[in-house]
Amino acid sequence: MESHAARGITVTGVRRSFGSVHAVRDATLTVPAGSVTALIGPNGAGKTTLLLMLASLLAPDTGTITIAGHDPVADPQAVRAAMGWMPDVLGSWPSLSVRASLEVTGRMYRMSRPAAAARADELIGLTGLEALADRPSRVLSRGQKQRLSLARALVHSPSVLLLDEPASGLDPAARVALRVLVRRLAGEGTAILVSSHVLSELDEMADAAVYLADGVTASAERVARAGASARSWRIRSLDPAALEDGLQTSGVAGTRTDHLGTLVQVDNEAAAADLLARLVGAGVRVSAFGPAVGDLEHTFLDLSRPESTGGAAA
Amino acid sequence: MSSDLDATARISPVPDRTPARGFLAGLWLIVTLELRQRVRGVAWYVLLGIFVLLVAAVTVLLWLSTAAWETGGGAVFSAVIFFVLLLGTLVSPALSGNAVNGDRDIGTLATTQVTLISTGQLILGKFVAAWITALAFLATAVPFLLFAVTLGQVSLSTIAVSVLVLAAELGVIAMLGVGLSGIVTRPLFSIVVTYLIVAALSVGTPIAFALLGTATKSEQTLMPPAGCDDPATTMDVPRFDRYWWVLAANPYVVVADASPGVFDPTGNPQDLFGWIAVGVRQAQVAPDLQGETPYCNSTGAYYGGDDDKRPTAREVYDSAVPSWFVGLGIHLALGAAALLWAWRRTITPSRRLPAGRRIA
Repeated sequence: MESHAARGITVTGVRRSFGSVHAVRDATLTVPAGSVTALIGPNGAGKTTLLLMLASLLAPDTGTITIAGHDPVADPQAVRAAMGWMPDVLGSWPSLSVRASLEVTGRMYRMSRPAAAARADELIGLTGLEALADRPSRVLSRGQKQRLSLARALVHSPSVLLLDEPASGLDPAARVALRVLVRRLAGEGTAILVSSHVLSELDEMADAAVYLADGVTASAERVARAGASARSWRIRSLDPAALEDGLQTSGVAGTRTDHLGTLVQVDNEAAAADLLARLVGAGVRVSAFGPAVGDLEHTFLDLSRPESTGGAAA
Repeated sequence: MSSDLDATARISPVPDRTPARGFLAGLWLIVTLELRQRVRGVAWYVLLGIFVLLVAAVTVLLWLSTAAWETGGGAVFSAVIFFVLLLGTLVSPALSGNAVNGDRDIGTLATTQVTLISTGQLILGKFVAAWITALAFLATAVPFLLFAVTLGQVSLSTIAVSVLVLAAELGVIAMLGVGLSGIVTRPLFSIVVTYLIVAALSVGTPIAFALLGTATKSEQTLMPPAGCDDPATTMDVPRFDRYWWVLAANPYVVVADASPGVFDPTGNPQDLFGWIAVGVRQAQVAPDLQGETPYCNSTGAYYGGDDDKRPTAREVYDSAVPSWFVGLGIHLALGAAALLWAWRRTITPSRRLPAGRRIA
């Protein structure tokens, strides 16, 4: 069955334990080709273990994985030819230059010598490492190594991309560029799974999110419920006193003021739109009106609350 | 220095994946990568320089001292070969003993394993690279061996065989080092264990041989010669013949025994290696448990102690199993087993993961 999803990533009921530690207990997710999915969870939730299984390095105890239509346990070579992995550990051959590292990686994917050299050139330009191309990789800073790691994951133009904390150590400009690059790769048909803690960034990058807590992926219903729960909106006005009056007449509860504006609790987006209309109608000069936290962060915090799964992992 | 990812550059759609370039191409890629990684610049050449100086010093000192004894090149040659083996066994575990787990520590093992390089190519490539590194030491010692030839008494065939066997022994150490680095999780431990195994083979085998041989005794009955009224005497004799293979597994014995035996007309070996070979092969001969004493105590007569009947060193040497063959076989089996085990442990996707081991 060669569906759209089969060319991306599918994970069904995957479980993996290390001795008595159940790193991943029940993970189920789908990343269709041409889309970006965020993998979100607290530290120790099993994100890296899950990514290692997707990267064909760890075998799951139970459950099935397909990457670009292939099973990483049964046919790791086919998976590796189609999959690029950017690890959370910054590993690079210390005495090889950036260019040589990329060329060697290309040849490990059975590219011919000239093709590997051309591809290395291309990726050095893509990741902005031109000035460092002929320096040994041990002199690179964390952010620069991160870019080298990204370039290495892209060497064979994979159709499935696994990014483990890609933005850590990157400066703001590089983060923006990373986001643009990820969106463009998705636009070209790549299935991308990104794990990160920087939720606001994932908000702008990801089409969908998978929440992993205690090794279990949250069900779609739980995510929907968490996303729909009441949340804070932040309002800023040129005339705080008028805003105060307007809110009181609207009967909005939970009002709190911080240095960025006034925080109010609103049930959903419709209620927020109504509130804004009323405030503007009442003549309050509103200069900013929006959710106080991003969608992912809101859902993440709600899901991490120790209520249904008996406590989130530390 | 540009600090942003240039997202406008075009990504080529599909890399040129030429048809499978075969096992050897990938293997050689790992070998060259290893050599570029490990043979890095100054420190390596300093080490090689010190090695050359030591071999030169030993050669000159041996030449001066043996010139006094008028024994010529044979002694110099044997000693230089042993010295190269000694230094090789001291250096190569440090160079090969962290090949796999060291890569895991710096995070480059997993990034190699997600490519199309197979575990077999990875392990064998690391072994070949470690071997080549050790062979560089042997290569720098060759001029000193040739110098020994010019002193006379040593034939080129002896040199060739010794160098080949020495190269094989260095390969065995490289196998053990790379193998253990894939078996033991921590680089320090795997290097130490490699040293311990090399020490067990070099020093442990003679000790084990002596202890085992003397601890295992057989009763020997010596009958008096015909026409003598003495009672039969019995005594315990050590059974070294059961443990000669332990001694054969000593790398120094392997190197010595492998060099073609050169004997003088009376059947005695002409160089150090020859004497070692005869000694080791002598151990293969089982004691005669039903012997006959040549003396008769009651009459005081001495019967036929005919020295010509005793085998000469050459006859012992020729009639025994070539012990270097057995020893090298044991070494290669050990090395191959270590590599095989390392391959099993490094294979991905991995099912088993020892506690505290990070995969990346």
